[in-house]
Amino acid sequence: MLGVGEKFPSYSLTATVGIERDPSTAFKTITDLEYSGKWKVYFFWPKDFTFVCPTEIAGFGKLNKQFLERDAQLLGGSIDSEWVHHAWRNNHPDLKNLPFPMLADIKRELCGQLGILDPASGVAQRATFIVDPDGVIQFVYVTAGAVGRNPEEVLRVLDALQSDELCPCNWHKGEPTLQVA
Amino acid sequence: MSLEELMETLPAYARDLKLNFSSLKQQPDLNEQQTWGTIVAATIASRNAELTQSVLAEAATHLSGPALEAAKGAAAIMGMNNVYYRFLHLTSNANYKTIPARLRMNVIRTHGIDPVDFELWCAAVSAINGCAACVDSHEKVVRDKGMSEEAVLAAIRLAAVIHGLATVLDAESVRAPQPVSV
Repeated sequence: MLGVGEKFPSYSLTATVGIERDPSTAFKTITDLEYSGKWKVYFFWPKDFTFVCPTEIAGFGKLNKQFLERDAQLLGGSIDSEWVHHAWRNNHPDLKNLPFPMLADIKRELCGQLGILDPASGVAQRATFIVDPDGVIQFVYVTAGAVGRNPEEVLRVLDALQSDELCPCNWHKGEPTLQVA
Repeated sequence: MSLEELMETLPAYARDLKLNFSSLKQQPDLNEQQTWGTIVAATIASRNAELTQSVLAEAATHLSGPALEAAKGAAAIMGMNNVYYRFLHLTSNANYKTIPARLRMNVIRTHGIDPVDFELWCAAVSAINGCAACVDSHEKVVRDKGMSEEAVLAAIRLAAVIHGLATVLDAESVRAPQPVSV
């Protein structure tokens, strides 16, 4: 599995971004270059239409505004196709108004490169990655089986990652000054 | 009220401040952005509503949008940092310095204008808010970035005068009690 400090892989995937019938607006191609300058929070789940996942996904959805305020884009994903995502979102009340895209990694290439394909089941593990604006992974969080994730914890970590002491106020006599870009 | 009109309302006892401000606005050591950014940041740090309103209106004619935002940002972030880091340096418990601050201060990186100007405004606000460590470190940063001592002092003079003006305006607003209807 890729870890902190490694570059998030390049990808180009169809994503489900709406629940309307028109595929030209409900689907969108998203690549790793989208949302340039922003942090990205990718979280994957094993299968659409199962039980733990909607709670987590809706949980992230409720925090979407707080992620956006921190210049972070949420992106969900599984190895299901964009049509399965579409059907699931239409089917489940908690997912109807999801404010962020669901990536369809149907060829399993992204999950494969991330190293999160479960060897037994062949589907994605419950993995979350926080990626900085330079495309570097800064946090990896994976849970086994049916243990759901805590989206608030992910937000807390993002906050901590973004709380650099950029002020030279903590400079001590004799130390070189901070290089502020 | 425009800044000019507001300056005309100053009482006689504040004549020195009025004249200092008028000459400092035109001093040659700082460029227009540095001068007016200092004025904005110092005004916000000095906490007088009337002065803030007039200065912000006037400063908008001297500063670009981003520069004005950045000057406000400097006053905002130093409003926080001057308290936090002053505590760290006032307390004799050195352990606090080793514990992460966990305070967001991304504006210091993302303000988008000349970094030396932003640091100068931070230094000016720190002078007003009285954080010795902040004053020290920001002064060092701007000098390392090539600013002259004369230029630094010009900014501090401006901040000092602005602060004086704010206290006068506070006093003057108290002196005239509201009429009480009987």
